[in-house]
Amino acid sequence: MNTIKSPEESRKVLDTIFSDLTRSITHKDELTRFWFFILIMFAGVGLWGWIIQIDQGLGVTGMRDYVSWGMYIANFVFFVAISLIGFLISSALHLLKISWSKPISRVAEQIAIAGVALAGIIIVMDMGRPDRFLNVFLHGRFASPIIWDVTVVTTYLTISALLFYLPLIPDLALLRDRMTGKVPAWKLKIYTILALGWKGNPEQYKTVYHAMRILMILIIPVGLSIHTVTSWLFAATLRSGWDTTIMGPYFVAGAFVAGAAAVVILMYIYRLRYGLKNYFEDFHFDYMGKLLVFVSLVYLYFNINEFLVPGYKMKTAEGVHLQNLFTGAFASMFWLVQVAGLIIPILLMLIKFFRKPLPLTIISVVVLIAAWFKRYLIVIPTMEHPFLPVQNVPDYFKSYAPTSIEIMITLFSVFAALLIITILAKLFPVITIWEYAEEKGVDKKYFSEQPKN
Amino acid sequence: MKTKVNRLMIGILMFLALPGMGQDWQVPADQLNIENPSSYNLENVKKGKDLYLQNCKSCHGDPGKNNHLPLVPPPPDITSEQMQANTDGGLFYKITKGRGGMPQFETTISADDRWRLINFIRNYNSEKEQLLIDAPPVNAKILASVNEAEKKVEILAEYEDKSGSYQQLENAPVFISAKKAFGNLLLGQALTDKNGRSVFSVPETVIGDEEGNVTIVVTLDENYKAEQVVLEEAKVGKPKEVPQLIRKEVLWSTNENVQIWLLLSYLGAAGAAWIAIGYVIFQLIKIKRFSKQ
Ligand code: HEC
Repeated sequence: MNTIKSPEESRKVLDTIFSDLTRSITHKDELTRFWFFILIMFAGVGLWGWIIQIDQGLGVTGMRDYVSWGMYIANFVFFVAISLIGFLISSALHLLKISWSKPISRVAEQIAIAGVALAGIIIVMDMGRPDRFLNVFLHGRFASPIIWDVTVVTTYLTISALLFYLPLIPDLALLRDRMTGKVPAWKLKIYTILALGWKGNPEQYKTVYHAMRILMILIIPVGLSIHTVTSWLFAATLRSGWDTTIMGPYFVAGAFVAGAAAVVILMYIYRLRYGLKNYFEDFHFDYMGKLLVFVSLVYLYFNINEFLVPGYKMKTAEGVHLQNLFTGAFASMFWLVQVAGLIIPILLMLIKFFRKPLPLTIISVVVLIAAWFKRYLIVIPTMEHPFLPVQNVPDYFKSYAPTSIEIMITLFSVFAALLIITILAKLFPVITIWEYAEEKGVDKKYFSEQPKN
Repeated sequence: MKTKVNRLMIGILMFLALPGMGQDWQVPADQLNIENPSSYNLENVKKGKDLYLQNCKSCHGDPGKNNHLPLVPPPPDITSEQMQANTDGGLFYKITKGRGGMPQFETTISADDRWRLINFIRNYNSEKEQLLIDAPPVNAKILASVNEAEKKVEILAEYEDKSGSYQQLENAPVFISAKKAFGNLLLGQALTDKNGRSVFSVPETVIGDEEGNVTIVVTLDENYKAEQVVLEEAKVGKPKEVPQLIRKEVLWSTNENVQIWLLLSYLGAAGAAWIAIGYVIFQLIKIKRFSKQ
């Protein structure tokens, strides 16, 4: 924390911070409208694909009797994965008293909310009869990892939303007090309602800190569970490729890789678009790069364990599966994901230059795309090798390729996630104003002051 | 059943392979005039009938009904002129040796029984006295009960005489079957004694349901019109072993078999998380309350 400033200086600093960080809300230009248009259009096209699927049934997808989990489930795992970064950055690092990550918390939380919300929606979209969705709860088996997953996804979504909301309350009060006339009336109304009549008295701050602390502790087991349980959906079966004990930590590590990359990309976009160079500073990117290298190295280590050990033995069914990945039909995707998506990024990010904002963002884009394909590689090749005698069935039952409807719906999920993030960024500041100002030495008492003008 | 089908197949094959075969069937002269060594009496005719029903009816059909299989040349009805024109020796030779669609019975039916079959065929010869008269089925009644302790079925059969009153049915075969999912499984048959009674011991090997219950069906043969008796769930069989598909000990069991510690862990973890969330929401209410001060 910086040294205490004079009242004049404090007010000035607060004003600059406020106007900088609300630029995302007040900013309005053609590009914003165009972006919204693109998002809504693509999401709409995807929804149309879903309507076709509901109308004609899951037969419009490439999934058949043997490959019954396709692109949707791979996509689901991807979204659960990126959502996990919320727990790492806004809770784990906080509790470890690492302060550089504070301005990034809300970015991470945005990704967490969008990711886990879409994960839930994707599962419904993967259902042949989404109208029977409630049956999952009514007739679920307590002994089934699927029920655990449903439980933990909803819990994580709730906690993430609360973790987004709680530190936002003082900000909402600031917005309520200072944005009159600058934003449409409906936005102001939202701020007023959500601010809960915030006055900024010490009891309120104490309650916010208290509740935050509870959430931060709570999200650690829940966050770890969400992806561990997702991995159990696979690991609790006897199928080759999934029947491994490393799945839990493997998924969690992979999730941090994907999520950290997503955070870097979003940070860079905000920095560029909303002129936040002084807030998402170069050193933030440097640290995020180091974090990404670290989690990537852990993930690489798990990958080596996951593939080298069974690859050494090449047990019957496992051997068929691994052959398929190493030299078979999935070889090019597999090696691209491992080399371009993991090994090269690690090597590059060890060099300081590549941790600068732009290079790091480019690397992150590659890592994120590779992360998506990695999930595809986890789900589909194993599905194509069931332990059943696959006899006298049409060829298109034995192998899987996504249909255009599936690709449409998957694109929908991507655009819908971006839409959620965009709406959050357009409604609320992307960095917690009051925390940031306090960090810069502005006392809390200035927050509740009405601006003079 | 299987042999019948086989014979049918042979018949059909012959029909295809030998369509132009001559009508007359030469019997060697030395065979032609051999006399039937078994005497023409009711007992032999009855035995011959049983043999006919078992071995010949499937092709030659019911006597006098001309409902034989459509083979070429056709298997003649045994009451027909063509059949009866044969000498006893001729019939014996033809049954023994067979030809085309007509199988040879030299090895499958003993010579004595072949002669008995000829006695049965002669039952329909206009020059002979008809010993066995095909009467319409007689009304009859069966009463049966199960002795579970001794694993026995006790049967009493009665028939309706001309005056319309019921009399004990003597010396009649009774068929005892077990009702299975896809029809009745014949367990065996028993003859009634002079009081119309018979006792049938259920074989040790009969398998019932999980508790060993068997549903027993008792019937008479086609000469009697009697309602079959169904004895539901008699404990006379061996219990069926049902493989336990879902074992209790496994973690992935059904809700009924879920392991308590697993259920408690799940409910405990989810419950704790949601209580904490509830507490945080309560803090939000507190924040709102503090604003009013
Ligand atoms: C697979 C069908 C089949 C079965 C079973 C069968 N037959 Fe025939 N039988 C025939 C056919 C066909 C002919 C005519 C053969 C011919 O004329 O070439 C025939 C002819 C005969 C003839 C000669 C009739 C004549 O034209 O002189 C006799 C006698 C005869 N069968 C008796 C029997 C007896 C007795 C049995 C049972 C033991 C029997 N058959 C079983 C098909 C069968």
